[in-house]
Amino acid sequence: MMQWAWFIPVFPLISFILILLIGNRIKEKSAYLAILLSFLSVILSFFVLLERAEKTTYQVETIWFSIGNIDITAGYSITALNSLIILIVSLISFLVHIYSMGYMKGHQRFSTFYGYLGLFTFSMLALVMTTNLLQLYVFWELVGLGSFLLIGFYFEKEAAKKAAKKAFIMTRIGDVGLFIAMILLFWQVESFRYEDIFQAVESGSISSGLVTAIAILIFIGAMGKSGQFPLHTWLPDAMEGPTPVSALIHAATMVAAGVYLVASLYPVFLASEVALMVVAIIGGFTAIFAASIALVQKDIKRILAYSTVSQLGYMMLGLGAFGYVAAIFHLTTHAFFKALLFLAAGSVIHAVGTQNIENMGGLKEKMRFTMILFLIGALSLSGVPLFSGFFSKEAILIATLESGHGVLLSLALITTFLTSFYMFRLFFLVFSGNMRGETKAVHESPKNMVWPMAILAVLSILVGYIDRPFSFNEWLLMDIHFNQHHSDHAIWIMILSIVLSLFGIALAYMMYHPNGMMKRDWLSLQVPFFYNILVNKYYVDEFYEKTVIKVTKMSGIVLHWFDRFIIEGVMNGVASFTQFIGRQGAKLQNGQTQMYSTIAFFGLAIFMIIYAVIGGGW
Amino acid sequence: MTTPLSAYLTLALILFCIGLYGALTKRNTVIVLICIELMLNAANINFVAFSKYGLIPSIHGQVFSLFTITIAAAEAAVGLAILIAIYQNRKSVHIDDYQSMKH
Amino acid sequence: MNGEFVAFIVLAIVAISGGIWMLNLTKVVHMVVSLVFTFLSIAGLYILLSAEFVAAVQVLIYSGAITIIMLFGIMLTKHQDHEKKGSTRKKIFLFASILAFAFSIYIGIYNLDIGQEGTDLHVNNTEQIGIALYTHYVIPFELTSVVLLVALVGAIILAKKEEKEEKQDT
Repeated sequence: MMQWAWFIPVFPLISFILILLIGNRIKEKSAYLAILLSFLSVILSFFVLLERAEKTTYQVETIWFSIGNIDITAGYSITALNSLIILIVSLISFLVHIYSMGYMKGHQRFSTFYGYLGLFTFSMLALVMTTNLLQLYVFWELVGLGSFLLIGFYFEKEAAKKAAKKAFIMTRIGDVGLFIAMILLFWQVESFRYEDIFQAVESGSISSGLVTAIAILIFIGAMGKSGQFPLHTWLPDAMEGPTPVSALIHAATMVAAGVYLVASLYPVFLASEVALMVVAIIGGFTAIFAASIALVQKDIKRILAYSTVSQLGYMMLGLGAFGYVAAIFHLTTHAFFKALLFLAAGSVIHAVGTQNIENMGGLKEKMRFTMILFLIGALSLSGVPLFSGFFSKEAILIATLESGHGVLLSLALITTFLTSFYMFRLFFLVFSGNMRGETKAVHESPKNMVWPMAILAVLSILVGYIDRPFSFNEWLLMDIHFNQHHSDHAIWIMILSIVLSLFGIALAYMMYHPNGMMKRDWLSLQVPFFYNILVNKYYVDEFYEKTVIKVTKMSGIVLHWFDRFIIEGVMNGVASFTQFIGRQGAKLQNGQTQMYSTIAFFGLAIFMIIYAVIGGGW
Repeated sequence: MTTPLSAYLTLALILFCIGLYGALTKRNTVIVLICIELMLNAANINFVAFSKYGLIPSIHGQVFSLFTITIAAAEAAVGLAILIAIYQNRKSVHIDDYQSMKH
Repeated sequence: MNGEFVAFIVLAIVAISGGIWMLNLTKVVHMVVSLVFTFLSIAGLYILLSAEFVAAVQVLIYSGAITIIMLFGIMLTKHQDHEKKGSTRKKIFLFASILAFAFSIYIGIYNLDIGQEGTDLHVNNTEQIGIALYTHYVIPFELTSVVLLVALVGAIILAKKEEKEEKQDT
């Protein structure tokens, strides 16, 4: 079955092309076409995963082109990591396809939306299946393009356009790092293929300083796509896109591409202690940074966006702490419960019509399904036992503990508390109490929106137990070899994190539930300065505006001036010079015999001079 | 000391250059025609000089100069007739006015 | 210092100055008159070169007939007595070209090394010319007379035709 694996990205590609061609004619029915193709992708990836669970890595490569005597190959491979992520991506894409039938119903560009979804899914699947860096870069950029198109889907809104541009440009800045890393690797290894790179790195033929630089540059690329600090500001703004898009791209797949990049190039990171430290530090810092901002946001999707940034920080922290399996595990569980949360949020927004949680409340009675599913997602995210998020978060905390990063561990524990707090603040504000906004007819969402959420909810519970029957650990580590510190699971970490999560839930209950005893703003009143900083997201956006953007605009103006006056001046100069010569030439042809005779005589004089100087006779 | 051949030739060269300069610079068409006559005269001096001091001194140089004078006279007459004809058309002998060959 | 040489120098100076006056004078008639000086001094030079017949013909034809015809041309056409100035750049350019030309020809003259002198040309000059003309050069002689005839008829037709058309207009 694995030899047909290349079909997996091709199905969404066909969906994109077909919808591009005939979408306008079939309009609403394009959803069925896309859903069908997406379903085929899911089935195929499921079988591929099953097969890969038993056999070893499968790889197919062909020669793409040659430079000199170096051949650049293209192909795909099914490693353990790949097969897992392929299933995640195609499954969530499929569920989002179904969900969008209800959410985007009646929109004018309905079929275009499905086309873009297909394009994005294709790029993401192809990205995950590649064998070499150059091909990865191609699909990396394609994924960025798909994200741009989907974020700016409501292009009538100015904010959506700006958000799309911001996302693209900011990830592009990260991509520069990746590109430089690619060039350095090619320079050292003379090949883009993963195996050659791993071989060169492990055999020590690249100097260690260079390996560190390469690893950090690769991580910069991952930072862009995964929204780590300081390249994180595009993710919250990307919530301008439709909610299914947020679920697909910014919860489950594209942002996971950064984590996937670091994971699949893990041997390069393993060769450099410094790089892993950098990854862990930035990951840990981002986790707490984003969680703190999420505490005070009022937009439902923005809270979830910052939550995504924070959880990605967790994954990076896990990777940096040698917790490869833990990070991938968390990636898997996060994909499911975050997608669930986004879809549920979309369901709420679809029903209530606003995204501001100040104007919501009391949806418990009217949207029972949504509430239960949202609750499952929230519990999973908060790391409550029995739900999948608990297991994966545990794994990361244990890995951090075992690799001895004390400070980062405490940051991660604090973040656990913050996570559960802001999650349940959101839950209580949206669903409990009475409706604070306009009470129009709020009803439960249609079935095609509820069923995908239900499936995701089931998965977010079950995926946590994947380690028991399948020995997930060893299967994932089949392709990578490194020394894992495998001590006994420290029980105290588990208990401490459970306590923190429950404490967060309790505090949120007390502050935001109508039955709670505390006032909502007891803390924010005492420290208004900090509160303001958090609400304004630490002013990072404003800082960027004043420095980076201003500098870029200035240099743009300078270059524009240069182009207008100097380059065009030269061109105009050439043109007018030619005209000048022409006019001078025209003066010679003034119709007067004397002028013509003068010129003729001049020619004769030249000849005579030459004749005399040469000495006569040639 | 007898005058050398090169002196006569140099004199003829100078007269020729003066005539050429005048023919190509003067604005009045009649004067242009006169300068052309001067050029022909200079060439005649050459003929006669070579007839006396040349490789094989003989009378043939002088005979040829007679022919040149004859043709020069004929040419002057015809040239002037053409000038009169043009003058009757354009009412001007200023040579800058004869520029219908201009693009 | 040979008398011949002195005579040559004087005549040469007259000829050249006649030419230069012609270039620099302003009134057209003056220009023609200065050219007469040149023609006459050239006739003197011919005598120096033992070409008496040619000298006589030169005086007759050039300073006689051609000068008169030019004066007729001036009379029949309207002139502004003072010429307009031409473009100085062209003059300088032309002057430079002429200098270059003259220089190169002078190099040729300078390197010329032909020696013989004809000694009996002035003996019965006219008779010699006549004999040469009617024996060696009969055919060119006849053709020249045809050319003269053609020029005569052509000039008359050219100048006359316009008159006829004018008469028809009025």
